Amino acid sequence: MKGIRPYLVITCSIALAGCEGTQSALDPHGPAAARIAILTWFLLGLATAVLGLVIAATWLAIGGPDSVRGWLGRQRTVVAGGIVFPTVVLSGLLIYGLWLMRADASTSTPDLRIAVTGEQWWWRVTYHLGDGRAIESANEIRMPVGRTVALTLTSPDVIHSLWIPSLAGKVDLIPGRSTTLRLKADRAGIYRGACAEYCGGPHALMALHAVAMPAQDFASWFSAHGATLPALDDAQTRGGQLFLSAGCGGCHAIDGTEARGIIGPNLTDLGSRQTIGAGLLPVSRENVARFVARGQHLKPGNRMPQFDIFSDEQLSDLASYLLAPKQSEPHD
Amino acid sequence: MIMRRAMRRFVLTVGATLLVLAAGGFLFAWSGLYNIAASRGHWAIVEWMLRFGMTNSVELHAVAIDPPDLHDRDLVTLGGNHYRGGCAYCHGAPGAKANPVSQAALPPPPDLSAVSDNWNDSQLFWIVKHGIKYTGMPAWVSQNRDSEVWAVVAFLKAMKTMSPDQYRALQPAPPPSAPAVEREAIASCGGCHGIPGERPRTGLVPVLDGQKRDYLIAALEDYANGARESGMMQPIASDLAPATIGALAAYYADRPPLEPADGISEADAEAGRALAIAGQPEAGIPACNTCHAGDALPSYPRLAGQSASYLAAQLRFLKAGARGSSGRSAIMTSIAQRLSEPQIDAAAAFYASSMPEPAAR
Amino acid sequence: MTDTAISDYPNPLPRPASELANLERAWALPRGLRILTAVNNTVIGYFYIGTAFLFFLLAGILALLIRLQLAVPSNTFLSQETYNQIFTMHGTVMMFLFAVPVVEAMGVMLLPQMLGARDLPFPRLSAFAFWAYFVGGLVFFSTLFFDLAPDGGWFMYPPLTSTRFSPGVGADFWLLGIGFIEISAIAGAIEIIVGVLRTRAPGMSLQKMPIFAWAMLVFAGMIVVAFPAVILATMMLELERAFGWPFFIADKGGDPLLWQHLFWFFGHPEVYIIFLPAAGMASMIIPTMARTPLVGYELIVVALIATGFFSFGLWVHHMFTTGIPAISLGFFSAASMAVSLPSGIQIFAWIATFASGRLRFHTPSLFVLGFVFIFTLGGLTGVMVAMVPFDWQAHDTYFVVAHFHYVLIGGMVFPLFAAFYYWTPAFSRHPLSERTGKMVFGLMFVGFNVAFFPMHLTGLLGMPRRVYTYPAELGWGTLNMISTVGAFMFAAGVLVFVVDLLRRFRPTMSDSAGNIWQAGTLEWLPNGAYAARSVPRVTDRDPLWSEPGLSKAVEAGRWFMPGTLTGMRETIITSTIDAAPVYVLRLPGPGWTPFLAAVFTAAFFLILTVKQVTIALTCGVLAIAMMIAWVWPSDPPSAGRVDIGGGIRLPTTMRGPRSQAWWAMAVLMLVAGSLYLAWVFSYLYLWVVFPAQWPKPQAAPLHGIAAAALLVASGIGVSLAGRWLPRAFGPWPFALCIGASLIALCTAPALDITGHWNSGWRPWQDGHSALVGMGLVLQGQLTLAVAIMTLFAIARRWAGRLHLRQPVVFDNVRLLWLYTVAQSLAGLLLMHGFPRVAT
Repeated sequence: MKGIRPYLVITCSIALAGCEGTQSALDPHGPAAARIAILTWFLLGLATAVLGLVIAATWLAIGGPDSVRGWLGRQRTVVAGGIVFPTVVLSGLLIYGLWLMRADASTSTPDLRIAVTGEQWWWRVTYHLGDGRAIESANEIRMPVGRTVALTLTSPDVIHSLWIPSLAGKVDLIPGRSTTLRLKADRAGIYRGACAEYCGGPHALMALHAVAMPAQDFASWFSAHGATLPALDDAQTRGGQLFLSAGCGGCHAIDGTEARGIIGPNLTDLGSRQTIGAGLLPVSRENVARFVARGQHLKPGNRMPQFDIFSDEQLSDLASYLLAPKQSEPHD
Repeated sequence: MIMRRAMRRFVLTVGATLLVLAAGGFLFAWSGLYNIAASRGHWAIVEWMLRFGMTNSVELHAVAIDPPDLHDRDLVTLGGNHYRGGCAYCHGAPGAKANPVSQAALPPPPDLSAVSDNWNDSQLFWIVKHGIKYTGMPAWVSQNRDSEVWAVVAFLKAMKTMSPDQYRALQPAPPPSAPAVEREAIASCGGCHGIPGERPRTGLVPVLDGQKRDYLIAALEDYANGARESGMMQPIASDLAPATIGALAAYYADRPPLEPADGISEADAEAGRALAIAGQPEAGIPACNTCHAGDALPSYPRLAGQSASYLAAQLRFLKAGARGSSGRSAIMTSIAQRLSEPQIDAAAAFYASSMPEPAAR
Repeated sequence: MTDTAISDYPNPLPRPASELANLERAWALPRGLRILTAVNNTVIGYFYIGTAFLFFLLAGILALLIRLQLAVPSNTFLSQETYNQIFTMHGTVMMFLFAVPVVEAMGVMLLPQMLGARDLPFPRLSAFAFWAYFVGGLVFFSTLFFDLAPDGGWFMYPPLTSTRFSPGVGADFWLLGIGFIEISAIAGAIEIIVGVLRTRAPGMSLQKMPIFAWAMLVFAGMIVVAFPAVILATMMLELERAFGWPFFIADKGGDPLLWQHLFWFFGHPEVYIIFLPAAGMASMIIPTMARTPLVGYELIVVALIATGFFSFGLWVHHMFTTGIPAISLGFFSAASMAVSLPSGIQIFAWIATFASGRLRFHTPSLFVLGFVFIFTLGGLTGVMVAMVPFDWQAHDTYFVVAHFHYVLIGGMVFPLFAAFYYWTPAFSRHPLSERTGKMVFGLMFVGFNVAFFPMHLTGLLGMPRRVYTYPAELGWGTLNMISTVGAFMFAAGVLVFVVDLLRRFRPTMSDSAGNIWQAGTLEWLPNGAYAARSVPRVTDRDPLWSEPGLSKAVEAGRWFMPGTLTGMRETIITSTIDAAPVYVLRLPGPGWTPFLAAVFTAAFFLILTVKQVTIALTCGVLAIAMMIAWVWPSDPPSAGRVDIGGGIRLPTTMRGPRSQAWWAMAVLMLVAGSLYLAWVFSYLYLWVVFPAQWPKPQAAPLHGIAAAALLVASGIGVSLAGRWLPRAFGPWPFALCIGASLIALCTAPALDITGHWNSGWRPWQDGHSALVGMGLVLQGQLTLAVAIMTLFAIARRWAGRLHLRQPVVFDNVRLLWLYTVAQSLAGLLLMHGFPRVAT
C-alpha cells in the first residue's frame, strides 16, 4: 500500500496538470467557476462510485457467491437499487444544485457594466462608464481583479454563446433578447473564452480573452483620457493615411480620426489587445499584415473582405499604425 | 442452356465487329489516305451531315434561352463596335467584304448580312456565346458575360437593314491634327466610350473621362491578363502595349469630367444617396463614398457621373462572383453580396445622377 | 409447465392435404423484381433493417472524416464548409435515418412473430413507410455529393437557418427531407400500436406479452406525441424560408427560442424513443442467455411507461444557458434527474435476472454487458449535466458529445448488435460466427471507450462542439488524436461484423438456423412466410419453456387457424387486455401501389425543395392517386364466419371501436391533436414573449362565427349521412348529404381566411400573423384530407362498395371529419377569442 502512494500522487498531479489551461473549466480563477469545479469533482467521484457499484453488482450477479446472487435476484433489491437508492442520492444532489444556483443568482449591483454583442464571428465590447458614456472595443474584456463585472449579452444576427470557462459557465446571446453573465476573477491573468453555440462558418475561430488586471491598473487603463501618447512616426502616419484612403473607415472606427465605421470591430486599442481576428492570431505587426492581406485564407467566410492589394511596405505601414497606442474616446 | 450459348455468341460477334471497326478506323487514319486539305472542300454527303448535325444541335440547345428586347440602341452600338473589331474580318460587313484569307477556311465564315433570317435570336446567342466545333467560329472569350453576347446579337439583327454609311459611322474618325494619344484613344476606344467631350455612345460601357489614372491602368491590365472578364475588352486590352495603356490612362484621367446623363429615377437616386453616404451597417454595407469618393486610393474608381446601367451590371457581376479574380474585385465581391437588387439599382442611380468631382490628380 | 393433452388442441390431426399448400400460396413471396411489391413484415423487415444499417455505415464514415479532421490541431483535411455539412449530416442521418428507423424496423421484423400474429395489421402501410424512407433518405444523403447538404447542425437552430444566414437550398433539403421520415415514423407507430394491442395470440394478455412488445408500445405512443412537435417546427421554418412568415425572426415579432422549445419537446423524447426498444431487446435477450425468466417484469413495464411519460417533461434541459428563469431551471433539473430512476430500475432488474440464472457468455451476452456498462456511464454523466451549474460549463462542449454518444451507442447500438447476434438464427440459414463476434465486440467496446471517454476531459478543458479545427496551444491535440484512434478501432469492429454478415447471413423464410439459444418466446417457432403454421393459445410469458411440445404442435397445425380460411392472408384480431379472439382480419398481399405511392411522395417533397412546384404537385397528385388505388380494395365484403378451430367461429369483418381501422384512425387523430396542441403552445408562447403585436379587434368576428356555424352544420350533416348507408337508398341521398356537408366544411376555412384577409391580416407581417396563418394551414390540411376521403367514399358508394355491411370507409371519414370540426372550432375560438380577452 505504501509503495503505491508516490505513484498515486504522481498520477494525480499529472492528471491535474493536464487539467490546466487558459480555457479549462477545471482550472478555475473565479468564484463561480470554482464552485462549479468543486461540484464537478464531487459529481465525478459520485459517478465513479455508482458505476463501481453497478459493475460490482453485475459481476457478483453473474459469478459471485450464491448468497449474494440470491439477494441480488430478489424483486425487493430491484426496488431498493432502482428506486430508493437513486431517489435519496438524487434528492441530495438536487438540493446541492439549487443551492449553487442561488449563489450565482445574486442581484447586487455590479462594479462594472459591459455590453457584449456577439456578431458573426467576433465580439463587440462596450464599456459603460456609468455616466451615460461608453468606450468601444472588441474581442477582449478587461476587468479588475476581485470585482464583479456584469456583461449584458445581445446578438444582432444568430445565436452565439459566451464561455470563459476559467471564470464562469456560459450564457447564450440570442437575437431579440438580452441575457446577463456575471464574471469575477480572483487573480490577475489572461483567460481565454470561445463562442460555444454553432453560428455557422468559422464558428471555431470566434474566441476572445478576458484580461483581469489588478484594480489600480484597471482604473488607470479605464480612465486614461488625459494621458499623453507618443506621436506617430513616419511609417505610422503613412499607415494612418492609407487606413483612411483604402476605405477601412467605412467599417472600422479609430477614435479621434475620421474613421467611424461601426460594421466591424473598433480598432483604437488593437495595439494593446491579445489577438487579432477574435482569438485567431497573437497581435504583432506580421500577423496584422497577414490578417489584412490574407484574411479569407486564415478565417474563411469571415465578414472582412480580403485586402490583397497592398505592397509589403504598405502593409507594414498599416500594421505599424494599427498597433500604435491610441486614445479611446468615450461616446454617448 | 441454349439461351446462354446463343447469348455468348451474340456478345462475341458484336465485340469482334466493334474491334475490327476500331482497328480499321485507326489504320485508315494512320495511313493518311484521307485528305485533310481545306482547299479540297468536303464531300457533299459529309458537308450535309455536318450542317444537318450543327443545325439541329444549335436548335436543341437554344430552346430554353429567353431573349431580351434587342431593339435597344445601346445594345446595337456596343455590338456593332465589337463586330467591327472582332467579326468583320471573317464575316464581312455592310459595304465591306470578308477578307479573302478567311474565305479560304473550311467551312468559310458565312456572310451575316441576312443571318437573322436563318436563325432566331436565341440560336444566334448560343452560336456567338459557344462557338461551333469543327469550324473556325470561336466561343465568346468570357462565358459569364451574356449581356455582351446579346449586344452582338442585337447588332446582327440590325445589320440586315443597315447601310454601309451607317455601319461606317460606328467608327469615329480621329482628326488628323490631334495628338497621337488622342488619335489612339478615338480609334481604339471612341466607338463605344465616345469622342472627347461626349458621353459614351452606348450606356452599357463606362465613362472614362476624369476616371483615376491608376484605376484605368489596373483595369486594362486586368483585362489583358484575364483577371477581369469581358469578351469585348479582353481582346482589345491584350492588343495594347504597356506604354500605350499608360498613355491612354493618363489621357482620359486628365480630361474634364462629363455632366451626368438624364432620365434617372429620382426615387432610386434618393435611396442610393443614403447608401452612398451612410451605408447600411445592419447589413454589413459600408458607405460607398468611403472608397469611391474623396481622397480614396488611386486604384479605387470614381463613380459619380458614371453610366447607371454599367454600374448596375458591374455590381451584379460582383455579386455573382463573376467580375474577375483580382484583389480589388475580391473586396467588392464581398460587399456586393450584401446588396439587395433594389439597393444595386439605387446605388447605380445615385452615382449616375451625381456631379463628378474635378479631374483626378 | 403445462402439457396440453392431445384432445385439448383446437384442430385435430391429420390436417387436410391442401391446407399447407393453400397457406403457402396465399403468403407466397413475389419473385424477381416484384419483390419490391412485397408487404410481408419479414421482407419489409429485411429491407428496413438493411437500409437503416446502411445509413449507420454511411454516417459512420462521416464520423471518421470528422475524426480525421480533428485528429491534429489546425488541420486542413476538410474545408470549413465541407466539415460543417459533414457534421450536420452525421447527426441528422444517425438520428433520423438510422436510430429511429432501425428500432422501428426491429419492431416490424420481430413483433408479429413474437405476438403470434401472421403479420402487422396494415402491411401496405409499412411497405409505404419503408419505401418513402428508402427513397427519401438516399436522395437526402446524396446532397453531400453535390455540395448541397445542410450545414446548420442536426438541430438547425434559427436564425442561423433562416434564409438570411443560410441562403442556400441545404436547409430546405433538411426541412422537407425530414418530412417523409416523419411520415414513415408515424405510419410505423400506428402499425405498432394497433399490432401490439390488437393482434396478439389468443390468451396472451397484456401481462403475458413479451417485454419487447411493451417497449415498442411505449415507443410508438411517444412517437405519436413527440413527432408532431418537430413536424410543426419544420413546417414553420420552411414557411419562413419560402414565404417570409416570421415565426423565429426577433425583429418581426418571432422568437428563435420557439424553435428550441418545439424541437426539444420532440428531441428529448426522441432519445428515449431510441433507447426504450433497445432496452426492450435487452430484456428479451438476457433471460434467454441466463436461462431464467425475467425478474421484475411488472417493474420494468412500469419503468418503460414512466420513462416515456417523464421524458416529455425534460426538454428545457437543452436550454439551460438561454437565460430562462431560475424556477424553470430548477423544475427541469429535477425532472431530468428523476428520469434516471426508471432506467435504474431496468438495470437492477437485469442484474437480478443475471443473479437468478446462469449467464452463458455468447456474443449477445457480451454486447448486453457492454451495453450495461456504457449506458450506465452515460446515464451518470447525464445526471451530471442535469445539474444546472455543471451544465453551464459542459453544455455545447465535448463533454456533452461524450455523454450522448455513451447513452446512444451504449444504449442502442450495443443492444442492437446483441439483437443481431441473437435473432440472426431465426432469420438466416446460418447464425453469425461466435468467434468473429467476440472479436467484433472487443474492437467495438474498446474502440468506443478509447474514442469517447477522453472527450469528457476534452470538453472540460474548453473544447466547444462543432468546431472544424482548434489551435495547438490549447493542448487538446493528444486527446483528440486518442479519440480518432479509438474511432477507427470501433469502425474496424463494425467492418469485421460486416464481413461476417456477408459471409454468413443468408435471409430465409423457412429454413432458418432455428432456436439455438433455446429461447422461450414465440418468434422462435418454426416459421414460413406465413409466420407460424398455426396460432397457439398462450398461457405464459415464455410459452416455449412452459410447453416443450409447442413448436411441434404449432408446426403440425394443431393450434388455431392452421391454414387460410378465406383464401387470403389472415391474422386473428384479439381483445386489448385479455387477448380473446374477436375477429379474423384479412390482409392484403403484394402490390405496386404502396411502392409507387412512396416514390411519388418522396418525389413530391424532394422536388418541392428545388422549387419545381408544378412537377412536385404532379407527383403529389400521383401519390394520392396511388393511395386511392391502394385503399380501393379495402373493407371487402364479409366472408361470413370462419372456424379458427376449437369451435371458435369468428366474423371476418368488424365495424366500430373494435375494428383495427377505427383504432388506426384514433391514433391518427392523436397525432393530429398533438400537432395542433404544439401550435396552440406556439401561439400562447409568442404571446407571452411579445404581446404587443397581438391585435385588439373591435368589431365582431362575423366571418369566424359564420365559419363555426358551417362547421357545426357539416358535422351534423356527415352524421346524418350515415342514415343513408343502407343499400336500398341508392347512391344519391348519401352522396348529396355528404357532398353538401363537404361544401360546408370547405367553405368554413375559406370564409375565415377571407375575414382575416379583409381585416388586413398578412401572414408575413409579424409573428402573430404568421401563427394565425399556421393555424389556418393546419385547418386546411385536415380539410383537404377529409375532402379527398369524402370523394373516395362517394365513389365507393357509387360502385356499390359502401353500405351497411361494408361501412368502414364511412366510419373513418366520419371520425376524421368530427375531429376536424372540433379542432377547427377550437382554433376559431383561440384566434378570434383570445386577442379579445388577453390584456
